[in-house]
Amino acid sequence: MGALLERLWRIVTSRLFLRLAGLVIGGTFIYASLDKIRHPDRFADVVHDYDMLPLWLINAFALAMPWVELIAGAALLVGVWRRASGLLAAALTVAFMIAIAQAELRGLKIECGCFSVSGMSATEASWNLFARDCLLLAASALVWRRG
Amino acid sequence: MGNQHQGAACVCMRVINRFPHALRAGALVVLALVGAAVYNTLNREGIRWGPSPDGRIGIPRIFESRLPEISAAEGLKLLHSGKAIFVDARDEKDYRKDHLPGAVNLPMRNWNQAWPQVGPRLPREARLVLYCYGGACGLSTRMGKRLLELGYEHPIVLRRGWGDWTKAGYPTARRPKGKAD
Repeated sequence: MGALLERLWRIVTSRLFLRLAGLVIGGTFIYASLDKIRHPDRFADVVHDYDMLPLWLINAFALAMPWVELIAGAALLVGVWRRASGLLAAALTVAFMIAIAQAELRGLKIECGCFSVSGMSATEASWNLFARDCLLLAASALVWRRG
Repeated sequence: MGNQHQGAACVCMRVINRFPHALRAGALVVLALVGAAVYNTLNREGIRWGPSPDGRIGIPRIFESRLPEISAAEGLKLLHSGKAIFVDARDEKDYRKDHLPGAVNLPMRNWNQAWPQVGPRLPREARLVLYCYGGACGLSTRMGKRLLELGYEHPIVLRRGWGDWTKAGYPTARRPKGKAD
């Protein structure tokens, strides 16, 4: 068992795996940012629904956060400052997880706003998304610590 | 003086060496903020960095003047004049409990399902008075934006919606004479 775990650890911390993880996380973050950047007003509505931020901060957050996603994603994709962008991706993912968890615990039935904010393929914030974010966090943290 | 500068530079270098990734992450955030500011200035659908002067959030600057707000008292005048259609943006269960007299229910949180049924009943040139729960609800403003995008000419938001309306004791579907009866 110990040998298996050791082997697995060696694989996930290999240069190739970390590079691939960077590409996948980077692509995911870039894709996730585009619709929010295009429709900041709709993303502001989604942020409002999470009911976590004061009203005066919602627009600013809705404008800035997708750009942080985009820049972190682009840096991961091209492999520039990979550990720094891994750290940023991990921090963003933790923020997403906190937002989703508090929405679930409070019973808020709201659009996730993860990828699309156009309301056409709205996904509800749920524990499934939280689990997906756990994987994203693990991968981002690996890139940050070992990248 | 020279020694002080050298000392400060030395501290900076130590911080950079100690937390290089955090500092680079900070630089990426600054870059993102610059990108957001430039793009938001150029984007036709750009929004303010804070709430609008009347306290609303998430409204594209081009829609701010096209999506007026009226008070409950002004809403009552419109209701009596019969020159507007009232649209209830709240959830169906709340609409069923009570609503403004003659209001149509178009639950904003269920837009995709509700719109195909309700949309054809709303003429594009009509004055549509939109309301939701009140306070910081936001659903009516959201609906106003959506209607403007769809080419509706006169969506109007009822400020603090149902909350202010009932607080003022104005008529509802269940109490047509308001608090008077």
